[in-house]
Parts: sequence; C-alpha cells; structure tokens
Amino acid sequence: MAENENKDMQVLGIKTVEEEIVNEERVITFRLNNELVGIDINDITKITKDVEITPVPKTKEYILGVMNLRGNILPVVSLKKMFHLEDKEEDYESPVVIVVETDLGQIGTTVDKIEGAVKISPDDIQPPPMNAIGIDPEYIKGVVMLPDDLLILLDIKKIFKKEDKNG
Amino acid sequence: MKINIPDDMREILDEFLIEADEILEQLDQDLVELEENPNDKELLNKIFRGMHTLKGGAGFLNLTSIVEIAHKIEDIFNKLRNDELQLNSEMMDVILEGIDKLKEGLERLKEEDEIPDEDEVKEIVKKLEAILEGKNPNEVSSNNQNEQSKESNSQDFEEFEFVEGVDEDIKELIKKFGAKDLAELLEDIILLAPDERPPLEVVEKLEKLIEEGKDIKDLIRPKKKEEKQEEKKEEPQQASQQQPQKQEETKPAKTTQPVKKEEQKKVEKKKKSDKKEDVIRVDVERVEVLMNLVGELVLDRNRIVKLASSLTVEQNKKDESTLEELIEAINGMSRTVSDLQDAVMKLRMQPVKKIFSKFPRIVRDLAKKLNKKVQLILEGEDTEIDRSILDKLEDPLIHLVRNAIDHGIEPPEERVKMGKPEVGTIKLGAYQEGDRIIIYIEDDGRGIDPEKIKQKAIEKGLITPEQAANMSDKEAFELIFLPGFSTAEQVSDVSGRGVGMDVVAATIHALRGNIEIESQPGKGTKIIMKLPLTVAIIRTLMVAVNDRIFAIPLFSVVEIVRYKPENVKKVGHFKSLMLRDEVYLLFTLNELFEIEDKKEKEFVVIVKVGEKNIAIAVEELFGEEEIVIKPLGELLEDVKGIAGATITGDGKVVLIVDPNSLISDKKTQLAGVI
Repeated sequence: MAENENKDMQVLGIKTVEEEIVNEERVITFRLNNELVGIDINDITKITKDVEITPVPKTKEYILGVMNLRGNILPVVSLKKMFHLEDKEEDYESPVVIVVETDLGQIGTTVDKIEGAVKISPDDIQPPPMNAIGIDPEYIKGVVMLPDDLLILLDIKKIFKKEDKNG
Repeated sequence: MKINIPDDMREILDEFLIEADEILEQLDQDLVELEENPNDKELLNKIFRGMHTLKGGAGFLNLTSIVEIAHKIEDIFNKLRNDELQLNSEMMDVILEGIDKLKEGLERLKEEDEIPDEDEVKEIVKKLEAILEGKNPNEVSSNNQNEQSKESNSQDFEEFEFVEGVDEDIKELIKKFGAKDLAELLEDIILLAPDERPPLEVVEKLEKLIEEGKDIKDLIRPKKKEEKQEEKKEEPQQASQQQPQKQEETKPAKTTQPVKKEEQKKVEKKKKSDKKEDVIRVDVERVEVLMNLVGELVLDRNRIVKLASSLTVEQNKKDESTLEELIEAINGMSRTVSDLQDAVMKLRMQPVKKIFSKFPRIVRDLAKKLNKKVQLILEGEDTEIDRSILDKLEDPLIHLVRNAIDHGIEPPEERVKMGKPEVGTIKLGAYQEGDRIIIYIEDDGRGIDPEKIKQKAIEKGLITPEQAANMSDKEAFELIFLPGFSTAEQVSDVSGRGVGMDVVAATIHALRGNIEIESQPGKGTKIIMKLPLTVAIIRTLMVAVNDRIFAIPLFSVVEIVRYKPENVKKVGHFKSLMLRDEVYLLFTLNELFEIEDKKEKEFVVIVKVGEKNIAIAVEELFGEEEIVIKPLGELLEDVKGIAGATITGDGKVVLIVDPNSLISDKKTQLAGVI
C-alpha cells in the first residue's frame, strides 16, 4: 500500500513528501508528574499494567525490584526516582510499566500515565532548554514543541549504559 | 599469509582444526609427562603419531608453515623413539616453543584464515633442526652439559661466521649461547647463576647493541655447509614420507594427493576409533534452550504434583477410579520428567580433564621460572561438572596453583635442609561427593602460619588484636579471602597483583560453592573447593519475612529449629542463639536485608557460611521447592546477598538468597566474634 502511494507521489513529482515520511519518528508519550515525556518506539519492547514487582533488598533507591516478563526476570526502575522528581506512594500501587531495550538488557520503567503515540520529524527536535525542566539534560535527546505542550524526549541508551551502572 | 580455502574444503578445514586442537591439547600433557619418563616408548609413539596426523592434515590443506613445524617435531620424535636422540630439558623447551607456534598458527587460521609466513617460523624451525642435528639449540650452560656444549660450540662456529668489527666478547657470547635473538640472549644471561654469568661489562656491551637496534643478523652471516647431511641421515621410511610433502609445497598436486591422504587417514581413523566414542557437536546455546525448557517443565511438574496431592477421594467420590488413574499418570510423568532433567543435565557435563590438562604445562613453566622443582599429580580427571562452572574455574585454579608454587613450595635447597624431598608435590584433584563436586589443590610446601596471617590482618586494620586472640587457626586462614589481604611479602610477577584470593573466593561463591583452607606450617597447604554439580536447578527452602518470600539454597541449610525467645541472648552488638550445647550467632533475615522488622519470628534456619554455622531467624516457613535459577539482569548483577531469582508456578518472582555474600557483608565486623 505505502509503496503504491509513494509511486503515485513520484509520478506527481512530490519527492520531498516521501522523504519526510521516511524520516518520521514515532514516540510513545507519557506523564511524569506534569511533564510530558516521550520514548522512541524503537526502544520499547512492551507496555504493560498490573505487573507484580518483587522488591530487591539492598539496591539503589530508584530500583523498585524485579518483574516477570514472559518467564524472564527484569529489573524495574522508577524514572521519577531516577530523575529525582517528586513521587508519591500511590505512584507504585498499580504502575504502568514501559519495558525498554537497553545495553543492560531489558528494563522495566514505571511512568504515571500513557498519553499516546505522536509522530515527530527529527528536524523538530530542539536542544533542551537550560533548567527549564527537572530532568538532567544528560538523559535527554531534546525537546519538541507540540501544539499545546512541550515534549521531552528521553535518551534511553544514555540512561542505561554499560560503564555507568549507577545510572 | 592469507590462505584461500574453497568452499568445498571448508568442512575438511573445520574437521582438521578440531582434530588439531585435540592433538595439541593432549600433547601439552604428554610432553610434560614425557619429561619425567623420557624413555617411555609408548608415549613417544603416541606423540609421534599425533604430530604425524597433524602434519598430514595440514599438508593436505597446503598449510605450509604449519607443516614445516609439525614435520620437524615429528622427525625429532621419530629419532627419539628410535633412540637416536636423548631428550633433555632444553630440547623440551624448544619443542614446547614449537608447539606454541603451532597453536598460534592454528588460532590465526581459525580466526583470520591466515597462517604464519615462512619468515615467522624460520627461527623455530632452525631451532628444531638444530635438535635434529644433535645440537643444543639454546645452549644454556649447566654443569652436566659442558661436554655437549663444547662440541656444539665448534659446530655452531662452522655454521656461521661473524661480520667484521664485532666485539670479541660478544663473539664469545654468541659462540657460547648460539646464534639467537640478542634480547633473548640477554635474558638467558641474566637468568644464569651469578658465578656463571659473564662479566658486567660484557652484559653492558650487549645491552648497548640492543639499544642500537642491532640484531643477531647484523653480527653474523651463515656459512652454508652441511645443510644436506641431516636429510641423508634419515631413514628410508622417513624419506618416503617426506617425498609427498615436498610435492605439495611446490605445487598443489591435487590429483594424486587426496588418494594417498585417504589411505593415511583410514589407518589413523582405525586407531582412533578404538578410543573414541561417537560424538556429535551441538551448539551450547541449543543445550541452554533445552535446559531452560526442562527447567520450566520441572516447575510445572512440581505444581501439578502439589495440586494432585490436594485432590482427595472424598471430594470426588463419583470419579474415584478416574482420580486414581490421574494420580498414577502424574506419578509416571513425574518420574519421566526427573529422568529427562538428569539426562539434559548430563549434556552439560564435562570432565574436569578439560581444564586440568592445561596444568602440567603451567606448573612446568612456572617451576622453571621460579627455580623450583615441582611435580604435579592430577587426580580424578574424569570427574564431570557443569560446563558453565568448569569454564569459570580455570582462572581461580591457575591462581591457586601459582600461589602454591610461588609461596608454598620452597626452593630445592631449603627443602633438602628441612629433610623434605627435593622435588615438591602439588596435587590437583576432583571427586564427586553427593550432589557436590570437590576440587582440591594440595602442596607439600611451607604451609601457612596462622599467627602471621593474624598479624597481617591486624596491620591492615581488618581485625583488632582482641579479635585475633580469640580466633581459631581455621578462622585465621579465612582472613586470606578478605578483600585487601595478601600475604606475599613482596609482589612477585608470578602471583601477580591484580587477582587476589578474595577474587578467587568471590568467583567460587558466585558459583554457589565453598572454599576452605587447611594448612600446617612446614607441612603444606590444601585448598578445598566444594561446587554444585549444576547451576541451573537447585533445591531450596522457601521462607518469608514481612510477607516477602525468599528461597534459601538447601545445600547451605544445616538445620531448621523453632524460634524460642528464651534461647536468644544479646552479646555486645550481636544476638546469639543457644541450641543444645552450641552457641550460634543470630541474625534476623530482616536485618540482613534491611527489611522492616515488626512481626514475631517463628523459625530459625541454621546455614553454613564458610567455616561457621550462622542462625537466621525468619517469620514463615513454606518447605522445600526445586527451582530454576534465573539472573536478575545486568543492572542488578552486583546486589549483595541475592544469587538470582526464580519464577514460581503462579508467575511470582522469588529471590534466591546467597548466604555467603549476605554474611560476608558483615564479615569484617564479625571476624573473631564467632
């Protein structure tokens, strides 16, 4: 289907449109408190609710524990705790878990509420404004101005990387 | 040199590489054994055959430099077995060097489709040739070799002449030690006993030459003479074997060659089939997958059995016979699953020989380097252990054996003075004991003095003098495993600085094993490691505190008793439990894991941690369960006290306790208290 469309457009001489389609990125957006945050859909393995998290003693505060994903055990991390954002107990009562693929294997991350998927073009990504958001710019790819909100794009590969297990 | 292997030859190449690996692995061991019994005809024959096979295979594939080395070594062994040569230690060094070159070459072939150039092997081939000619290639002058070296000196002299302007002292040196790389020459000289060493100014001259970037080639030029002689001397049988070789080297005579090769191969295959069983090679990953599946199956089985046992005839009066049949079927399946589990487990088992076989060589080289005399005795090489455990054991074992040679075994003179045999003995062995594999390293060296250990630990601030005073010898030995402890007064380049005994202990603990030291000063040291047969499935005891369930591996559980507050006493910072006549240090699982502590404790699990038994109080006890261990993921790799996790029948994740690392967190405070 898509190919046919492209062909049609080529016939019509609209090459530039095709390129924009190719470059488009799909991002899953969610809330961390009031911030609108997004993760590239290519980094996401699964989004799940109602998982049971088994706490693991004597670990870093932001590691909530481990969960069972189809017979594999993965760590679950609170993004809020990791970014030193304000959090409440209720946040973890029945959290939404986004499972991301990282250099450290699959990791579950808890977020407040899924907002949905948006398509963005890489050209729209701007460098993060200084101090405007509560998240360390180190972990951020950039921000995108949406019609009614500012979307913060997380850099999952940087958040969970090999040499720095401390996060 | 890049070699080009056509696709249809790939399979043959792969087969050759496997065969060559096998031959070379066996060879290291055989050669060291041979050094002890230089006249063992059977052994000589075996080595000769191995080299012959290797040479043949390499020749077929046109791997010229490999062929060349293998061919020379084969010739040497032919002479040895026909009593035309007598093996000595210097020759052995060269032969081993040749074997190393072969290994290196094959490794490169495996990884890069490349074999060493003729140039690269020229040196070793020359040395091997020298042996064939009855010369001593390395010329290390020692008393009993003086005669020989005089002879070969003159021969050496005939073989090359010096270029103009070479210093007389250096000429002398080269005449004495043979024409070899100058850096190597320098090393040899430095290794000599002081009274045999040439005067200092000669050494300085040599150093200067090396600094100037001069090589031996700059100092001498070959005098071509008796090159041919050696070949003529060879027996007719040998010559005929050499013939096809030559052909291959010059032109790939493929039409005639394969036929001949086939014949040779057949003969060898027959010889081999006597010893070798039928083997198929399977990717480890496939076995891993199989293992996981069986693991899941075992869990399901356990769950079904549990459910079935709760079905009673009373509840199901109508279907009484069906129920009985069902239970019978479940029992049958249960047995089959157990058998299947055993069978799959066996797939992963490999004899410890796989790593033990490397040790004769390691011991030989190290003993030589450290000027010690050591014989290695291997015991229980056929004992089998899970492959993933085996792989991780190699480094700790090498470290322990090095320690034994470096710190344990005394220099020969010292041993004689003490009335011990001049040659020290190191035993490396393995055997199975129940569901554990015991691996031990025993030496008859100077042993460990517990007082010295304590002193050192006090100096390092690891324990207090009071703690030291109350410590048993065994506890003192355990101090060696603490991080930051090293008894070697100076760091030698052999035992190294990087890995310490704490790393060895940590590796063994990570495999859910124990490590213990037994030692008597003056008599020797024995290090004993107890390891699980397999890593994947273990029996555990399920306990809970604060509604959180933990699995404690059953092999570390000594005893379970009811918690009675009247038996618990507070001693200083710690609590202790009185049980019969024993006193155990007592912790709650809550405090060990830093979990909120509000409920009454109901049970006490006594676990073995290293040398000690420690009591851990828990709130609930659920009984035994067989579980499959799964890793927690890389992010949680270093968590203390947790060995992994398992998924129970209802999909819950349960953490597995690692008592060793759990307690070792507290160990420094604990030393001497218990």
